[in-house]
Amino acid sequence: MAASDIGVAAVATALPGPPIDNATLGRTLRAGGTFESWVDTFIGTSTRHLAMDLETGEVRFSLADLAETAGRKALSAAGVAPGEVDLVVMGTSMPDSLLPTTVNVVADRLGIDGVATYQLQSGCTGAMQALDVAHQMLLTGRHRTALVLGGDVCAKHVDLGVEFETLSPGELVNTVLFGDGAGALVLTADPAAGSVLLRRVLVRFVGRGRAPGQIVEWFGMGDRHEQRPALHEDFKAIEEHVPTLAAQALTELIEAQGWQPADLDYLLPPQLSVRMTDRIVKHLALPRAEEVSCVGETGNTANALPFFQLERMLSRMSSGQRAVAVAVESSKWIKSGFVLEAA
Amino acid sequence: MNSAEDFVVLIRDEIGLPVTRADLELGFDQVPGWDSLHMLRLVTVLERETGRTISFPDVLQAQSLGSLYRLAVPA
Repeated sequence: MAASDIGVAAVATALPGPPIDNATLGRTLRAGGTFESWVDTFIGTSTRHLAMDLETGEVRFSLADLAETAGRKALSAAGVAPGEVDLVVMGTSMPDSLLPTTVNVVADRLGIDGVATYQLQSGCTGAMQALDVAHQMLLTGRHRTALVLGGDVCAKHVDLGVEFETLSPGELVNTVLFGDGAGALVLTADPAAGSVLLRRVLVRFVGRGRAPGQIVEWFGMGDRHEQRPALHEDFKAIEEHVPTLAAQALTELIEAQGWQPADLDYLLPPQLSVRMTDRIVKHLALPRAEEVSCVGETGNTANALPFFQLERMLSRMSSGQRAVAVAVESSKWIKSGFVLEAA
Repeated sequence: MNSAEDFVVLIRDEIGLPVTRADLELGFDQVPGWDSLHMLRLVTVLERETGRTISFPDVLQAQSLGSLYRLAVPA
């Protein structure tokens, strides 16, 4: 039987280790006294959590560890047993390994078996892409209860031996923007009365003819000696295009719903950095929606971000309230988002 | 670093921006390729070269590469 309403039964998140403030990050990078003030002024992010212990260089958490923790908390909060989950979808840009896929490692640890699982290789719209797949599969009626996961751990790209002064601007900005984390959400085709309903998800690739704004390489035994940079970031292109694409996603979502900008109670905007998010929120110019952001405390956790934002908002939504979330993927340009409504 | 010429060489070599002496008094938005990340790196390099700490509020007030140079090397 096809489902009509898909509800959010619970959301949960996991962060590795203690918050790392800008002073600690600056000391670790041997960056000089200006670093902390510069991050405060131009990035605005106060803390992030990292899977790597910056004192020792030890990587203490994998993505599977964080996603397992978030998944277990979400299932528990939803009152859903692992055996009741019949669909698992995960979005990540940095799986622990290419194979086995992290989604299946997490499913195994949570005691989920014999069901459909999917892992989407995704940039900063992975949560939306995973939600879209799960939402559509629940609507068909083939599945009833989905665990949706998203997260990233960038320890692979943290080189504590690097000389701060030799970092390119792109490498430098990566050291301050990103944090590690994971999120999980239980979606159900049988929402309880008063649930928050997932009304619509938008995922639209708009990268035809557009150069990548971000490149993340991967290496194997055959090409690991080539000394290519693992990360490339065109932050000028990101600064230029993300606000515009975010506005387009927002307009497309609310028009498809037949809503007006003034109907929105909450806005979950893209979370690149505090300063960029401020600019985007201003650009979106919603008349009364309350902004729900996390990047100042979590850093940019990429595929995990919407879960942190949802966690901050869900319990506050009251009957009839409406929310919109927007994310933009800048590696090859996807505009995306979703809309929620409390029944 | 003893002169504005040294400063230009420093920017070219360490920051990688192809500036000339004529660019020093341009507004930052006129300097080819300039952004706030270059500012952070340049201030870090200037502090290393001069052994002096540069006040960040003063850096934020600076309008040009030349004014950053004068902060680092007061006349």
